[in-house]
Amino acid sequence: MTSTALYEVRGVGKRYGGVVALDGVNFSLHAGEVVGLVGDNGAGKSTLVKVLSGAHEPDSGEIYLQGERRSWKSPHDAMEAGVETLYQDSGIAPDLTVSANVFLGREILRKGVLGRLGFLDEKAMRKQAQSELERVGIAVPASNRPVARLSGGQRQAVAIGRAVAWANKVIILDEPTNHLGARQAGEVLEVIREAKSKGFGVIFISHTLPHVLEVTDRIVVLRLGRVVADAPSSTYTPDTLLKAINGLSQQ
Amino acid sequence: MLHGLRDVVRRQDVILLMLFFVMVVAFTAVNPRFFSVRAMANVLQDFSPVVLMAIGQTFVIASRGIDLSVGSVLGLSGVSMALAIRAANSVGMDPWVAIALGMSAAIGVGVVVGLINGLLITYFRLVPFVATLATMGAAAGMSLVLTGGTQIAGAPKEVILLGNATYFGALTVPVVVVFLAIFVSWAFLSRARFGRWTYAIGSNPFAARGAGISVERHLVKIYLISGVLSALAGAFVYFRLGSGSPLSGRGGELSAIAAAVIGGMSLQGGSGKLTGVVVGALITTAVLSGLILIGVQPNWQQIVVAALIAVAVWAQGLSLGGSRS
Repeated sequence: MTSTALYEVRGVGKRYGGVVALDGVNFSLHAGEVVGLVGDNGAGKSTLVKVLSGAHEPDSGEIYLQGERRSWKSPHDAMEAGVETLYQDSGIAPDLTVSANVFLGREILRKGVLGRLGFLDEKAMRKQAQSELERVGIAVPASNRPVARLSGGQRQAVAIGRAVAWANKVIILDEPTNHLGARQAGEVLEVIREAKSKGFGVIFISHTLPHVLEVTDRIVVLRLGRVVADAPSSTYTPDTLLKAINGLSQQ
Repeated sequence: MLHGLRDVVRRQDVILLMLFFVMVVAFTAVNPRFFSVRAMANVLQDFSPVVLMAIGQTFVIASRGIDLSVGSVLGLSGVSMALAIRAANSVGMDPWVAIALGMSAAIGVGVVVGLINGLLITYFRLVPFVATLATMGAAAGMSLVLTGGTQIAGAPKEVILLGNATYFGALTVPVVVVFLAIFVSWAFLSRARFGRWTYAIGSNPFAARGAGISVERHLVKIYLISGVLSALAGAFVYFRLGSGSPLSGRGGELSAIAAAVIGGMSLQGGSGKLTGVVVGALITTAVLSGLILIGVQPNWQQIVVAALIAVAVWAQGLSLGGSRS
């Protein structure tokens, strides 16, 4: 990988009080690449996700997007720059409709005075939500239903579809296949492949190692706040990956 | 046709409206005086402060919060207005200027308490129940401090006129303003981004934050709205009575929350409509005036409202359980 990384952090450190959550972490992601981020509880995965998504500012280290030095003051900054994050179990407002969720925080407003007062163009949002979701390979029935009425898999598909629809560079998916049945998880993995083929960089965080091995090109293993392994997915078997996570062998 | 009709009947606000008409018929059957223009005008006047506080409560509950301070804010803004107008009067100020001054004092109280609520909840991270319980107590105490516990009378006759002159039989200026407030709030809650974000925060605050919504700033605005609407309610009660009492508004939070939950607001946040809450406020006030007209002692009012809250929340639980199975 000689080309400039699409998204990269170098030497990132983060402490919470006396606890070192991240210690000199390097992480890079290329366009059209799916990188798995794995590690035990407390390994620093969620802290790294928060740094990458702009939710937390690191104490030290640098962030580069397309080779350009950046710093995020909020997730909004990162989103504006093209980095979309789907957080674990929190991507969706269940009482809102599918289209309201897809457009949450980026609502289309009506034209003229009403628009300046913040009035919504529901029709345009419904239409575009449907076509955006279809574009990323997600078929969701009637986008004017509350998401709570959909199945768990459909709900997750909407959340991912939202992230993919809005990202223009990087998609960070935190445990997107959690609590899903085999078929629904398969659909989610399919959406990830679709995103990869469109040239997005995808960061896939999961405890479900078979999913990680199935969909990623490269796997980064975190342990006690450090990167302990960074190698192509094809070099792992489920067994060796588990050992790397538990610190039983060094890659 | 039949299908459309079924959809209409399924809407909770429509069912509530039918319930309201059944109540009107029942009260009228017991005491025919209930169904008179005069009695209806009375219901509308009682309805005004309740629905204003209930609208604020709708924004707050939709965002998964609660505002217990609405009744105390009503009381404190009423006495602040009464004191300001009395002071302006005593130096011989033009009554309309005095009223404008008093109005600013009242609204100022709403802004200050709403802002304190919002900051306690967002900056100091108190849960809304505790934050607004504290301001509820503080505002009620402040009313007593300012008045020494007595009623502040001596309003110029323009105040009484503004609050009580009726047009078309039942409409007073405050009632018209209340209808405007209902319409504007409904529009912003159900048709605008402000409402969309309010429901999103109540439905899943993490998703709202993840979507780039500035949750804290939005919550502060919501508690500000609730404070200002309660202050407006306080001003209208003052217009109606021509005096400010430190005891007015006491228990107002009970009526406001009753109207909201009867109207279908889920205390879990994220769902419920303002149209339902408006009918909920109508039902709450009609029950109260109806009970008086059929000869129940006013002292029973709080007990009835409390029972309404319990029944409404219980019924919400039933319908949730029903749709899940």
